[in-house]
Amino acid sequence: MARLIYKIAPVTDTPAIVVRRLTKSYGPVEALRGLDLDVQRGDIFGFLGPNGAGKTTTIRCLLDLIRPDGGTARVLGLDPQADPVAVRARVGYLPGELHLEDNLTGRKILRYFSALRKRKVEWGIVHSLAERLHLDLDRPVKNLSKGNKQKIGLVQALMHRPGLLLLDEPTSGLDPLVQQEVLALIREAKADGTTVFFCSHIMSEVEAVAERVGIIRQGRLVEVADTAALIDRALHHVKVRFQAPADGNALDGVPGVTVLAHDDAQNFTLQVEGEMDGLIKALAAFPVISLETTRPTLEDVFLAYYQADDVAAEDT
Amino acid sequence: MVVPFYDVYVAQEEQMLQFIESYPPEFLAFFGGMAAINTPAGFLNSQLTTLPVVFGIFAVLAGSALLARDEESGRLDLILAHPVSRLALFGGRLAAFVAANIAILTVCWLGFCIPLSGSSMDVSWGQMALPFVSTFAVVLVFGTIALLLSMVLSSRRRAAAAAGAVMVAGFFLSGMANLNADLKPIARALPYEYFQGGYAISGLNLVWFGGLMAVSALFAALAGWRFQRRDIRVGGEGNLGLARPAFLSRLRRASL
Repeated sequence: MARLIYKIAPVTDTPAIVVRRLTKSYGPVEALRGLDLDVQRGDIFGFLGPNGAGKTTTIRCLLDLIRPDGGTARVLGLDPQADPVAVRARVGYLPGELHLEDNLTGRKILRYFSALRKRKVEWGIVHSLAERLHLDLDRPVKNLSKGNKQKIGLVQALMHRPGLLLLDEPTSGLDPLVQQEVLALIREAKADGTTVFFCSHIMSEVEAVAERVGIIRQGRLVEVADTAALIDRALHHVKVRFQAPADGNALDGVPGVTVLAHDDAQNFTLQVEGEMDGLIKALAAFPVISLETTRPTLEDVFLAYYQADDVAAEDT
Repeated sequence: MVVPFYDVYVAQEEQMLQFIESYPPEFLAFFGGMAAINTPAGFLNSQLTTLPVVFGIFAVLAGSALLARDEESGRLDLILAHPVSRLALFGGRLAAFVAANIAILTVCWLGFCIPLSGSSMDVSWGQMALPFVSTFAVVLVFGTIALLLSMVLSSRRRAAAAAGAVMVAGFFLSGMANLNADLKPIARALPYEYFQGGYAISGLNLVWFGGLMAVSALFAALAGWRFQRRDIRVGGEGNLGLARPAFLSRLRRASL
């Protein structure tokens, strides 16, 4: 299976994406409310948020498909509004809602997009991508399933070996095997220096490939962190079984530890915020039969942000 | 069919005139009168009256769909994510639109020219081209109106309907103005009034032709200007409504 080699076309050494105080409204609806965002070159950046949070609006501003009301954006050091063609020449984009001309075959559509790129696409890469994604290029789009249309979208985003990939729900409609292949393609792109900025509702895939994540809520970035660090900062749940009855108060006093439940004096369910070191040291004073921890997922982190916001909203 | 029919008409002119005179005078006046119908220019004029409307239907539908069709279907988003400027895309589509209209009118012109060799109609191929040149200028105005409206109104269908209304209104007002002189100023504000019809074979009115082309250029430029500056629509995100001043948007948000 051929591995794709990506060309990097750095314009400057600035971050791949720099967004400052970006605002955008659709009539009375404020989609972006002063968004600040930095994505470093070569990163895989997961952009998370529920529907309507402003993810797609951000990407469309970066491509100059829509014009922000205020703020600035730079893509690979270029201003999308001042030089949209140069930005798009270096970017591969997969929209969240992919629409293709029904009467054309995948091959003809890709040839059209190749022509828009002044035929700077190596057709060997197209064939390699099609083979890896199990895509038949000679069937009319109208006869393709949603997943196969999505594959055409992925090929057109990757085929010119862009310096930056903007992917909006890249695995939408794909079967699990092809999803894994897409994640492999993303990792390969990153290995060759391409920056990947992608939105997804599938937290497990973001967790699997993204080194950094940003969480957007109502047009504002509420968190940006390394994926692993963000998960480590989240609440762990720990079940402890002692050999003999233990004093729960001794655990309650450990910084970051909360006793959630204890069926009896031997079985405790704890919630631990941050590092486990304090708890481990506290448990050393007791004879422990078993210790079971549940690692939080990115989904837990994401939901915690939104549940906390919902609670705050209800309180106000 | 029109050119061979001229020979039939000439051969049976007396009966034809009697037949035409049987029509109500208002009806004949609506179509510009039939006084010169026994001349090639008058005969062609009587046959080509509806030409701008027939070709205008294509121009309006194509003009309104030129960019808005891909935009409404969501395809424009992906096209413009490639290294092509909005101006280049607009220019390319506009050129294709103009070329399509020229191609259709050229085929139609050839259809009129080929039977000329076997006809008594003393008109050269070059002369025969002139009514089609006049038609092209009028049709281009209809198409560019539709294009401009598609850049401003919230849907392609509304743009086509509004441009179509201008086209049909012009046709009827020009005809009605032959019956009621008070309607003439209104008819003059609409493109159809500047269609020369068959009389163009005697010489193209370059002022009218130039004026129509200038109006088309103006509408196309306005459409291009609007396309350059506005957001590309995607399902569920805003619309193509006229730009609202920022303070009005702020007021509306504040009131919610």
